[in-house]
Amino acid sequence: MDLRYTEQDQAFRQQVRAWLEEHVPRRKLESLDEKKAWHRKLYEAGYLGMGWPSEYGGRDARPMEQAIVGEEMVRAKAPAPVNGLGISIVGPTLIHHGTEEQKQRHIQKILTAEEIWCQLYSEPNAGSDLASLQCRADVDGDEFVINGQKVWTSGAHNSDWGLMLARTDRSAPKHQGISCILVDMSSPGVEVRPLTQLSGSSEFSEVFFTNVRVPADNLVGEMNAGWRIAQTTLSYERGGNTLSRYTRMQESYNRLLEVVRTVKRNGTALIDDPHIRWRLGKVFADMEVLRYASLRILSRLERGERPGPEASIAKLHYSELDKAIQEVFLDILGPYGQQIAGLPDEIALEQDTEEFEPGSWAYSFAWSRAGTIYAGSSEIQKNILGERVLGLPKEVRADRVQAAAQKAESGGNGEN
Amino acid sequence: MQFDFNEDQVMLRNLVREFLTDQCPTSHVREMLTSDSGFDRDVYRQFVQLGILPFPERYGGGDLGMVEQAIILEEMGRVPYPGPYFPTVILAGSALQSSGDENAMARFLPDVCNGDLVLTLAFMEDDTGWSPNSINAEVTKDGDTVTLNGRKRFVPFAASADVILVVAREPGSTGKNGVSLIAVPKDSPGVSFGQEKMFDVTQRTSTLTFDNVSLPAENIVGTAGEAGRALESTAERAAVGAAAEMLGASRRSLEMATEYAKERKQFGQYIGQFQAVKHMLAEMLEKVENGHSAVYYAAWAQDDNAPDRALAASVAKSTMNQASRKVCGDAVQVMGGIGFTWEHDLHFYFKRSKHLEVHYGDVDHHYARVLDEVLAGRTAGAEV
Ligand SMILES: Cc1cc2nc3c(=O)[nH]c(=O)nc-3n(C[C@H](O)[C@H](O)[C@H](O)COP(=O)(O)OP(=O)(O)OC[C@H]3O[C@@H](n4cnc5c(N)ncnc54)[C@H](O)[C@@H]3O)c2cc1C
Repeated sequence: MDLRYTEQDQAFRQQVRAWLEEHVPRRKLESLDEKKAWHRKLYEAGYLGMGWPSEYGGRDARPMEQAIVGEEMVRAKAPAPVNGLGISIVGPTLIHHGTEEQKQRHIQKILTAEEIWCQLYSEPNAGSDLASLQCRADVDGDEFVINGQKVWTSGAHNSDWGLMLARTDRSAPKHQGISCILVDMSSPGVEVRPLTQLSGSSEFSEVFFTNVRVPADNLVGEMNAGWRIAQTTLSYERGGNTLSRYTRMQESYNRLLEVVRTVKRNGTALIDDPHIRWRLGKVFADMEVLRYASLRILSRLERGERPGPEASIAKLHYSELDKAIQEVFLDILGPYGQQIAGLPDEIALEQDTEEFEPGSWAYSFAWSRAGTIYAGSSEIQKNILGERVLGLPKEVRADRVQAAAQKAESGGNGEN
Repeated sequence: MQFDFNEDQVMLRNLVREFLTDQCPTSHVREMLTSDSGFDRDVYRQFVQLGILPFPERYGGGDLGMVEQAIILEEMGRVPYPGPYFPTVILAGSALQSSGDENAMARFLPDVCNGDLVLTLAFMEDDTGWSPNSINAEVTKDGDTVTLNGRKRFVPFAASADVILVVAREPGSTGKNGVSLIAVPKDSPGVSFGQEKMFDVTQRTSTLTFDNVSLPAENIVGTAGEAGRALESTAERAAVGAAAEMLGASRRSLEMATEYAKERKQFGQYIGQFQAVKHMLAEMLEKVENGHSAVYYAAWAQDDNAPDRALAASVAKSTMNQASRKVCGDAVQVMGGIGFTWEHDLHFYFKRSKHLEVHYGDVDHHYARVLDEVLAGRTAGAEV
């Protein structure tokens, strides 16, 4: 064991910190163009897509360097890059599974935010059970014809392109008839209808596809291999950057420490209330464990090991912890914790959410409720841990029972 | 950055596991339940002679760090080992080492390292607090003689210890000022023992009474009245060590419950197929893995003398207190009626964890310490 950052890492951190100090926008980014410009600046400084191969605009950076950038961005209160899904999911998917033409056509524009991407996976009837998706892509000559609906699509209203999972073989068992397709969101027949979220803003949408024509060249990987590809992209989503999530929590915590020193309740400063002190101690201890666990994952990544199903531990941990912590913050802050604008300066939280909402305790609280739903809900993570890490037998599920019955009938090759 | 064990550490873990599997299976643990001392002195001696103690080589130790001690204690938690390793090596040993008293070390450590000498630390008193404020036992010095008065409780393996390191204060002193550490041979006149029978029957603890115990002043370890610092560092190592032992007990409980969930059928299916059971086990796994991160980070922070070492020790202990309560407790739940029998080994882990929860600082103690460290700025800081 050796948990020290190397001198190289520390020098890199100083460099990133200095750059951010100089370049982080002083005022809130309002328009999409401003957000794109900031994204582009980050890219030009070499801080986006860092781990990608240099031939595709990355710099083959080590996981540690990426983690350092993530942490320092939070610390500097830097706005998140506008093409988050493009960077975290689409780029890696194309690098691993795309054709050379696809890589040449898309990757650079993802990095520069010239083209913004969204992820078209979930459907009204296919959430956790993603493989039951129904949106169809039928082959017609050298095109796909797409019909169906997607939902909860983050950033769809700003997106130029979407990475879609669609059904290409309806006779195959559900996991085996899905393909991964790149869809130009400006194609005729694509309709985006923003949904207002619990937090009050409209970051995700429902998206309708009516006879949308997409060149067959936009297929990623093999026909009907979409499920496998999606599994790898989901694993980029899971457990990837827990350290920066920790840093985000820590920034809020530090702010809370300032607040509890100045705000009084019942005539006593909050920091002098033993009950509040107990909670502050506990929250910090819990956050520290997330930091240690993040370092543990990071040190494995550094050795070139990819997170397997254990990534589910990290996902479960940080998302559930975030919920617990935000509850404590709101308990301590009382009504101020639920005020979304106009807080007294000594209480306000400056950190904007990753979704560009103005910083407020209430928004951070609201978003903590999303973290245990998306990218595999907590219940799904527990299934994965139970079955793939502990090796417990799979649960009896209606779809499995049906698939087994069909298989018995037809002598076919059912999934599961 | 390297979080996983290096080759030597893996070898150490394997060595300890092999030894304990061989010499100390649960059948042996059961045999010890009815023995007087609660442990087998030969097994203890052989274990210590593996050369794995943290003490300097000049005293016969293996010069190993806290990470290595955590590895050893995690393995002991998996047994769970009955015997005075913890009080001798982690409690008294750390106190001797951090006292910096070369004479005391030269006097005791060589015999500790060859397994001939069992030590313990008498800290806790009637109020059961785990800080210097709870020390009321008094030591007075008169020329070359010191006199000790007071009562200690829950002193681990005191009845088997050859020498007891007693924490006492100068009359009139408060807090960590004026606190001394006195080496008391067990047969000194005025020392009396009362055996306590505990829920974790593998633990042998005693109430010790010191009634005008008179000893040569050279039995003061370190400088009289200045043991506060050494005891702080001992407390940190004890917290990390206990957390490591709880980690072992928890991981073993998780393994047993998982195996059972794969074999036991009810309602025509394995109980591990029920989501209520599966999810319970998944949560236990999460607690165990996070506990591992906390324990080994804290152990490393001790070895590295990191600025957040006290913080990390408190994080590790509070984390394992919560985790082992859940993991060992839920293991009993998963195993149903069998888990509630004496016959099944599970209860050993359940009780060992429970025992360690209230020693070396409970969650309240450690959460308070965490906040104190944070407010004092003794945190890691990302740039470290
Ligand atoms: C803020 C936000 C942003 C999102 N962005 C995107 C996006 O950009 N693109 C995209 O494609 N999707 C996106 N999603 C959708 C997200 O992936 C889904 O919400 C998620 O997969 C859960 O599906 P669902 O909402 O249909 O819930 P359901 O699957 O219906 O789940 C409802 C409840 O049932 C539980 N449940 C389901 N199955 C099981 C099971 N087998 N065992 C136990 N419990 C179970 C779940 O845990 C949950 O508690 C986003 C969601 C949110 C909240």
